[in-house]
Amino acid sequence: MSSFKQSRRNFMQNSALMAAAFATGGVAGLRPAFADRSKELNILCWEGYNSAQVLDPFRESSGATIKAESLTNDPTMINRLRAGETNVWDLINVNNPWARKKMFPEKLITPLDRAKMEPYFDKMAPAFKAPYKWAMDDSGAQLLGMAQRYGPYSFVVNTDKVSRDAAEDQGWDLWNDSANDKKYGILESDDWNVFNICCIAGFDPFKVHTDEEVAKFTETANKVFKGAKVVGDIATMNQALVSGEINFHMTGGTYSASPARADGTAAIRGITPKKGPMEGGKGGISWIEITSVVNNPDISPLAVQFLEYVQDPKVAHTVAFAEGTFNPVAQMGNPECFSLFTKEELDAIQYDSLEEEMARSVEYDIVPDYDKLLDVMTAAKRAASGG
Amino acid sequence: MTISKLLAPGTRHAIPLVLFLLVGFAAPLLAVIGFSFVPARSFSLWQNWGLGNYIEIFNSTSYLSFLWSLGLAAITVLVLAVICYPIAYGLARVFGKYSTLVTLLFTIPLFVSENVRLYGWVLFFIKNGVLLGTLKSWFGIEPESWLFTNGIIVWGMVYVYLPFMLFPMTLGVSMVPDQTRDAAFDLGATRWQVFKEVELPLSMPGIMIGFLLSFVLAVGAIAEAKVLGGQQIIPISHDIEIAFTYAQNWPLGAALSVLLMLVVGTLVLLVLRRFDLDAILGRR
Amino acid sequence: MNGRSPILQLRNLTKTFGNFTAVKDINLDITEGEFFTIVGPSGSGKTTMLRMLTGMESATSGDILLRGTRINDLPANKRPTCMVFQSLALFPHRTVGQNIEFSLKIKNIAPDVRKARALQLMDQLRLPQDYYGKSVTKCSGGERQRVALARALAYDPDILFFDEPLSAIDYKLRKTLEKELKDIHRETGKTFIYITHSLEEAMVMSDRIGVMRAGQLVQVGSPQQIYGAPETKFVSEFVGDVNVMAVRAGGAATVHAAEFNIDFVSPSVPAGFAAGHLVVRPESLRFLSAHNEAQNCLEGRLYNEYVLGSRIQYQVRVNDHVFIVEKLRQQAFTGKLDDNVLIGWDAKDSILVTD
Repeated sequence: MSSFKQSRRNFMQNSALMAAAFATGGVAGLRPAFADRSKELNILCWEGYNSAQVLDPFRESSGATIKAESLTNDPTMINRLRAGETNVWDLINVNNPWARKKMFPEKLITPLDRAKMEPYFDKMAPAFKAPYKWAMDDSGAQLLGMAQRYGPYSFVVNTDKVSRDAAEDQGWDLWNDSANDKKYGILESDDWNVFNICCIAGFDPFKVHTDEEVAKFTETANKVFKGAKVVGDIATMNQALVSGEINFHMTGGTYSASPARADGTAAIRGITPKKGPMEGGKGGISWIEITSVVNNPDISPLAVQFLEYVQDPKVAHTVAFAEGTFNPVAQMGNPECFSLFTKEELDAIQYDSLEEEMARSVEYDIVPDYDKLLDVMTAAKRAASGG
Repeated sequence: MTISKLLAPGTRHAIPLVLFLLVGFAAPLLAVIGFSFVPARSFSLWQNWGLGNYIEIFNSTSYLSFLWSLGLAAITVLVLAVICYPIAYGLARVFGKYSTLVTLLFTIPLFVSENVRLYGWVLFFIKNGVLLGTLKSWFGIEPESWLFTNGIIVWGMVYVYLPFMLFPMTLGVSMVPDQTRDAAFDLGATRWQVFKEVELPLSMPGIMIGFLLSFVLAVGAIAEAKVLGGQQIIPISHDIEIAFTYAQNWPLGAALSVLLMLVVGTLVLLVLRRFDLDAILGRR
Repeated sequence: MNGRSPILQLRNLTKTFGNFTAVKDINLDITEGEFFTIVGPSGSGKTTMLRMLTGMESATSGDILLRGTRINDLPANKRPTCMVFQSLALFPHRTVGQNIEFSLKIKNIAPDVRKARALQLMDQLRLPQDYYGKSVTKCSGGERQRVALARALAYDPDILFFDEPLSAIDYKLRKTLEKELKDIHRETGKTFIYITHSLEEAMVMSDRIGVMRAGQLVQVGSPQQIYGAPETKFVSEFVGDVNVMAVRAGGAATVHAAEFNIDFVSPSVPAGFAAGHLVVRPESLRFLSAHNEAQNCLEGRLYNEYVLGSRIQYQVRVNDHVFIVEKLRQQAFTGKLDDNVLIGWDAKDSILVTD
């Protein structure tokens, strides 16, 4: 008995996960073949879409029960579908590459009606004009999802400590300068941390890596974690920046800095380096969320309705400023939507430099040898334990 | 023959409870153990079982996390013992009617989520925060921030697990009959000898329960190192969390959990064997 | 015992808790080697007094002198005295041997010496030698008593205090242990100071008894004196069932009981005795067949009878006043209930007490 208590916490987590896995399998098995799902919608998404501001109006207009679960990690969400939860979820909201490169080939999602949905892309910012690459399958024939939130995501500095120009010029080398040890933090976001460590090590993350590169990655990961003053979540990073505990932190951008900026700390700013090791010498990485319809054998008719609902200019503005994190949305290309943003809101999402930052960034992609690099990074984190 | 004839009434009435325990306790435990034997990064229990995950753990640096967790827990328990004994003594014997008040002071924080309390400490200790900000504006001194250091992790753990040491200890101290103290004193013992020969051994059951409870909880601690320590230390439970989330390697996480259970379970059994509670209580 | 010097002297010893005076102005000399018992009902201050004597409580005022030296400020662990507690306060986590040797271990005496002494004490107290390694929690009530006493004796105290150690023991065993304790007292020759609420217990064992009431010593004397010549109504009643009548001084050797409007013959009335009580013990009363068979006589009705084993008690009512007459079983009274009876006693059995 007592030996169970010891690891109570781990157990809570583990058993919750296990229970979820069992429950979903079980529920699917027990569900009648033709259950009425017209009043039910389940969304697996990043933080924001699960907020009451976004969901409540849709709940009222549709009279449906809507469940939205937010996770902060793409692989986790996709693994939930892989583990058999395709018969639970109706919509999945993840970053750009997953739909066309993984989920559609693995039959985890289904295509949308192009004729019905593509006109929405035409109202978005120019970059998203149909056919938009990340919304399409490899053949270019199928529409796999809808775009909405996006943003550059490289690193964040307190411009009172390091000027925007210096940060953009120095880029990822900030982490190669040992003078900066214990002056920076790391926003815990393991896939992005892997990208960033590749950038610091001086090679493109989105490719298969040579043994030499893996060795360099190992060395860099050890160095970066050893030199970190703090590793933590967005709130911790912003607090550490505001208080002066750290001067800048790895992994971050509009998505993480906007809450602090909206709070009046304009000195905290997402930075996109001017140059870097990625395709075309780019130094920044950006993300675009694609929301797709899950290949649920008993899909809710509300799934597509919801995708249309969030395209509405007012709702798109709400999505952009949902609680927790504030982000640009593709619908800002529509003047009807753009006019809803106040100057303060535009400041919070760094709209002034959005276009140039996106231009300096490559788009989030899948790291082919992610598992290997993640294991190396986890070991590096552990090795740095105790400072 | 019906079930009611097959089973004694006691057994029959215990069935719901047994089922509940099986489902609520044994099932997740077995699932974790089962998952620890399936190939890495897979999500189904029914495949080729093997020891791959365990071999991987033994070839990795996971032992560092185990050592950090055990070390931090040991330090926490020792610090707690030193802090809690005088308070427990006070609660049981000195504070009198104020004991309830003091007990409440130690209990009320338990009603606030641990994370909220830890973030409170972050605001207290952070640069320009409650402590350092006040020092700066009142005295003009600006010491290095303690936040995100090893020491602050111990602070957080001591803070969080204090009640789990204090209350069993208080119970232990209050179990010492007053007259045995008087008797030892009357038989020529000094205050220290009374403590060593009578009070300590007689309050040992409570002290041991406090030790075990706080150690076991502290070994599983994760939030203190994450929130206050800024992940400057990666305890084993954080490793397990990483395996279950970012790494999406449930089998590895399960194997780590099983090892943690084994390590802690063994330690607890060793302690219980060394300090038999019944023997301490003189029941044998 | 006579001619021996006092070992413990109390001078105006007082203890107050706030407004409450628990022990008031006690003056007492206890002789070397004496078995002295303090008797009193609960709340009479006897335990507080004992705690002051052992050093577990400090005196508010007055002096405690041990062989002429003031020891008020000496803590319990420095006093050459030792106490056997009401709860015995044995150390439950220790064996019989370890309990007995406790004070020797404290003094850093070598283990083999300790063990020899413990075994010797166990022998003296009729504890089997193989109990040495036994847990005290496994011992019976009587055995635990002996362990507690052995533990106290091992300390080799000048004075041994006892705080009602027998109160929780059943009657038969208590009677045995009372006598054993008195034997131990003889064997060791140590001064024993014992407190109890049972005068019966006190009388069996003690050389002298002090009766306490509301923090004061109301009478000190030998068991015979306390029993036969109580000075106050309280002491007389404390001894057991007695017949008490309110009286005032009459002639040289008579007192007047207004309740019955009778003058009773008594021993010489002490000078200064104006009003008080006439006490007659139940065994001093007897049934009469004629008024002149005793010096004092009353008419009443036999109301009830109680068989107490070797003795029988009769309740006789004179008007509303209840009298208790006690006879040996062999001399049982033959009257029937509700018979009119005559009861009487001789002047020598009249005891005059103050309030």
